[in-house]
Amino acid sequence: MVTASISLRDVGRTFGATRALAGVDLDLKPGVTGLLGPNGAGKTTLLRLLATALPPSQGQVRVLGLDPEVPAERTGIRRQLGYQPQEVGFPRGFTAFAFVDYIALLKEWSQPAARHAEVRRVLDLVGLSDLGSKRIRAMSGGQRRRVSLAQALLGSPPVLILDEPTTGVDPEQRVTLRTVLAELARTSIVVLSTHQTEDVAALCERVIVLDRGRVRYDGPVTDLTGQAAGRVWLADEPDPAAKVSWRTGTGRYRNIGTRVRDDVEHAEPSLEDAYLLLGGGSPEPETAEEVAS
Amino acid sequence: MTAWHLDDDALRRYVERTDSLAEGASAEQHLLSCEPCRARVTAAASVIERSVIDFAAVWDRTRDAVEVPRPSVFERLLRGAGLPAPEARLVAVASAFRSVWLVGVAAVLTFAALAAALGHARGVWLFLAVAPVVPCLVVASSYDPWMDPALEPELVTPYPALRLILLRTIAVLALALPAVLLFGLVVPGETAFAWLLPAVGFVAVVLAASTWISPLRAAIAVSTVWLAAVWLLAARSGSPESVLQARVQAGFLALAAASFSIFLIRRRQLRQLRPWR
Repeated sequence: MVTASISLRDVGRTFGATRALAGVDLDLKPGVTGLLGPNGAGKTTLLRLLATALPPSQGQVRVLGLDPEVPAERTGIRRQLGYQPQEVGFPRGFTAFAFVDYIALLKEWSQPAARHAEVRRVLDLVGLSDLGSKRIRAMSGGQRRRVSLAQALLGSPPVLILDEPTTGVDPEQRVTLRTVLAELARTSIVVLSTHQTEDVAALCERVIVLDRGRVRYDGPVTDLTGQAAGRVWLADEPDPAAKVSWRTGTGRYRNIGTRVRDDVEHAEPSLEDAYLLLGGGSPEPETAEEVAS
Repeated sequence: MTAWHLDDDALRRYVERTDSLAEGASAEQHLLSCEPCRARVTAAASVIERSVIDFAAVWDRTRDAVEVPRPSVFERLLRGAGLPAPEARLVAVASAFRSVWLVGVAAVLTFAALAAALGHARGVWLFLAVAPVVPCLVVASSYDPWMDPALEPELVTPYPALRLILLRTIAVLALALPAVLLFGLVVPGETAFAWLLPAVGFVAVVLAASTWISPLRAAIAVSTVWLAAVWLLAARSGSPESVLQARVQAGFLALAAASFSIFLIRRRQLRQLRPWR
């Protein structure tokens, strides 16, 4: 059996003078891969490239062995793709069912009975089975987010690209969605970007950290978390030696430093600690090099 | 083996679990030793199972009645015109088919046609200025990203962008052209038809230009140029008949042919996410 895969070789993307992605090399297999990075790091651009919504300015992208630059192969990719963009607008007056049904039509589900059953299945998966006939404009932000996720799940695609799927979704539904995605990832490639490190820690085997268009870290979540071992400690005051520190709910300060410390009260490191240690979450202004090309 | 068997009513009650505790225990005791009755129970259970499946189908139909959106007036019109149901839905979703938009277009056309009907030369010029730009604006609105909030998820589906755009264009023109022709009937003289070829040319220009820029921007640019040209012509000659000259009309036809060819050649550039979003 051939394992489904996505590969990127020296992929870059520019918008005018701004470089959004540069020199990205990746190989993705079935499983859940999390994409972390500060705003403007290039996460959405990378996901749009994978979803064939944007062509790269340079480099080579292959999705399931197909070249998105070739129109027939691009269509082949789109037949096996689910994509949830970061922001989805909905046509005026549409209900949740009508919207997902409309996307299902564009995905070539022309037989009404099968299409309606599939629409119900994906609405059930995202916990909207009772809200199919509700107008999207009357829905909460989290419910709208789940409608946009439902359309991506149509047909249980081999490739699922999700841009911040859990933003605005309540904790109970996030747990449900993690279960759905974990089940799908047994056979599908799932790539999701998020600012929620706990989603990545709970769901992803692999994490990619992007920073200013470049891959800063690519590896197992546990390895990234392990990088923070010995570098996270609790204290009664913020430690000046720490790179980041903040007051926790207990009134004590959680400090993260670049050096391993022995003379402190260590805390169990989390993925968020490791991410902050890596420099994530603190976007820096674009340098001249980024804007030059 | 025994000579006594479960009668039909008792068997049905047993299968449907509507029997009493004592009756059920008796039936089970009998079934342990009676092969024919066990076979009858299996057969009856499968009938019950099938009725459950039918019940599920009924439930699906009920949900369909509640959840599946009813086709809009335009969708029904398109289906009536012979377009298959799935494609009629894809076409009718376009913003160009929104009632508010169509009422606005109709109001502008009514104003222009009434002005022309009053018999003043300026009124006729006004109709000639407005009528050709209406179809291109409506076509642009049928697939412009700005008026299509769900562009990004639509874009990555396998449905061909070219087919969607052409279907929406044809549907919009099938609606707009007869409407403008109808308004044109109140315009005196042959000017009532002078707008037709310019309109076809402008629609083709918008299609071609939308492979570079957003369709609505293209339509606004074409409309602005046309309004300026009409204003200049009106100021110079004062006669709308000049647009009817064979040479001018042939020019619009050539413009339409050239633009449509460019559109087809550059069709791969259609409906992509661009910096304008």
